[in-house]
Amino acid sequence: MGAVQSSSEQVSGRGVAVSNAIRYGALAIPLLFVVVFFVTPLALTIAVSFWERAGFWIRPAFTVQAYAEFFAGPRFFVLKRSLIVAGLVTALGLALAYPIAYVLALHTRARVSRVVLLLFTVPFVVNYIIRTFSWEYLLGRTGPVNQALLGAGVIHHPLDWLLFTDVSVMIGLVASYMPFMIYPLWVSLAGIDRRLIEASWMLGAAPAWTFLRITLPLSMPGVFAAIIFGFVGSFGESAVPIILGGLGYQLMGNTITSALDVLNYPLAAAMSSVVVVVMLAFLACWYLVFDVRSFLGKIVRWSA
Amino acid sequence: MMNEWSGHFRRRDLIRMVAAGAAGAGVASASRSLGFGLAEAAMKGTVNFADIGVGDPGGDWSKFTQATGWGVNLVAFGNAPSQILNVLVSGGGTQVYDIANIVGGMQKPLVENNLIEAIDTSRLPNWRGDTYIHDFLAPGTPGFEFIGYKEKVYGVPTVLQGDSFGYLPDVTGHLDSYEALFNPKWKGYVALEDNFTTAGQKTALYLAKNNLASIKNPADMTPSEIKTVVDFLIEKKKEGQFRVIWTSFEQAVDLLVRREVYVMDCWEPMVFVARKKGVNAEYARPREGYLLWAMAAYIVKNPKRPPEREAAAYGLLDFILGPWYGAKITLLRGYMTNPGAAAYAKSHPSEFNAQDAAEVTRITDNVRSKFQLGGTWQDRWPTHVNDYEAEWARFKAAPSK
Repeated sequence: MGAVQSSSEQVSGRGVAVSNAIRYGALAIPLLFVVVFFVTPLALTIAVSFWERAGFWIRPAFTVQAYAEFFAGPRFFVLKRSLIVAGLVTALGLALAYPIAYVLALHTRARVSRVVLLLFTVPFVVNYIIRTFSWEYLLGRTGPVNQALLGAGVIHHPLDWLLFTDVSVMIGLVASYMPFMIYPLWVSLAGIDRRLIEASWMLGAAPAWTFLRITLPLSMPGVFAAIIFGFVGSFGESAVPIILGGLGYQLMGNTITSALDVLNYPLAAAMSSVVVVVMLAFLACWYLVFDVRSFLGKIVRWSA
Repeated sequence: MMNEWSGHFRRRDLIRMVAAGAAGAGVASASRSLGFGLAEAAMKGTVNFADIGVGDPGGDWSKFTQATGWGVNLVAFGNAPSQILNVLVSGGGTQVYDIANIVGGMQKPLVENNLIEAIDTSRLPNWRGDTYIHDFLAPGTPGFEFIGYKEKVYGVPTVLQGDSFGYLPDVTGHLDSYEALFNPKWKGYVALEDNFTTAGQKTALYLAKNNLASIKNPADMTPSEIKTVVDFLIEKKKEGQFRVIWTSFEQAVDLLVRREVYVMDCWEPMVFVARKKGVNAEYARPREGYLLWAMAAYIVKNPKRPPEREAAAYGLLDFILGPWYGAKITLLRGYMTNPGAAAYAKSHPSEFNAQDAAEVTRITDNVRSKFQLGGTWQDRWPTHVNDYEAEWARFKAAPSK
């Protein structure tokens, strides 16, 4: 009997070992992926940012010259502008995307919402650059918007500020990234158990109160995902500012490319490193405020 | 029974056909991907010709192939200095390309990185007869900087051009000075190119020629001179002088066609395209002169290249200096090429009709007159290139009105 028990324990122990091996093996795959495709390039970028230039080449060293050049020069202004623009685009995008997703998820028949969601994918069929150029045509001095306003007698001279200004960059960025924000919001809102909303109504809560206490908190995973899509996308954007910004409107993507044009790899690496650090800092803040797991769709208990 | 046999036959036949088709398609696809068409299988080989989109004579290399037995594999190539260096240095380009045809003036970084080889001009029979080289690109002249470095020739000139600015004469009247780019009369209706070696140098040329700033050499400025130029541009930007800084050919053409701007620092072919779209646009002949430039074809340095391939590369360079190629490129791209181009087009009506021949002559005469007027040569890799880039970044980041 003891021999049988011992044999059974051995089998059980082996089973646990195999199970552990599979578990660690399965964990190793994403870990390896992150190390190879994220940590290693990032480490190299950070390392190069401290290297020094030697003619057309770079050589290992430890100098903060590239960082000094970045923080002391006009490119730091570009970083600040990128953060402001990305924040505004995200806020505007969210303000537009949330009501759309809300109506589609909770107040529209399934077939209609399916069609509308499909329509929001149509712009992606058109090449991104061509889409952006079409804004240049629409908003120009002789474009349809100005012509319509002139024709209606609303204005007597074309509006210059519609194109090649902050306004056109905002329009281009919001139009580009707002549809990306609708989908996670819709998924999140459509997944809310309607009985919770009905219970709130039956208990006498006003619609606004129900929205604030039930719908909004439960849709926060979607809000969080939408913020990530909107902010990260617009922060690194390079085509929209070039085409619609007019007078050398630059976001971080453009200024990094500009440094690479003269083979200034340490400066480009320093700017890239700062961008990554800023993004990680934002993620850390979000983690503290929201809980990053919500981004993955997990319903977590909010501290509120 | 008969039907069954027929059915088997058809199936077998179909399978054979599909297999043969697939194999054929595979071979053709593989050979295409290697740069060899099936018809070219019997050729001695192909010269790999990297080009920025200007040196392609409509895909017709038959005259070169007939003369040498070699084909040409034309590969698209970026023109930005960083792209060129990156492809040749880290992208293994020296093992792939035989010739790189880009805007010249890149000899310094290319030679110092051991990426191109000096050209033995005695192996190019057409070199001697090319009077443009003697007149505009001779050693000791600023034009030599586009093909040579430290008294050695590294590039064969493929096209020559002089840039100024385009404008809409219906609105502005006749313009003949870069002053138009900065004249408050056109405030908000001016566009510049996003390029410190074109827009920056043209501004420097304007300031220097009109004694508005002390700039010794607009082609290769000192850091303080660059700062002077950019300070001037920032001042104008703050006043609201510029509407946009353009970045692509199509965008620039569109700005003129839509009359979004009236005066634009641009390339002459943009004005040609705008005219074809029905816009009355002119390309200025500024009294300060032109921003002159040339494209150069370099032999990419590859010590492992066999002598016969090296000879074929030289053959292609000589072909490029020839009159047929010159006429073809002038007609297709609107640039001056070589002295034989116009005469060849005129004397070969079977290849160039009268209208095309006249166009080749007109373009050639126009560009030649630009070189006779002079101006400043574009410097793609000036001594203080990093200061140029940093100052240009300052200009772009500066607030506008």
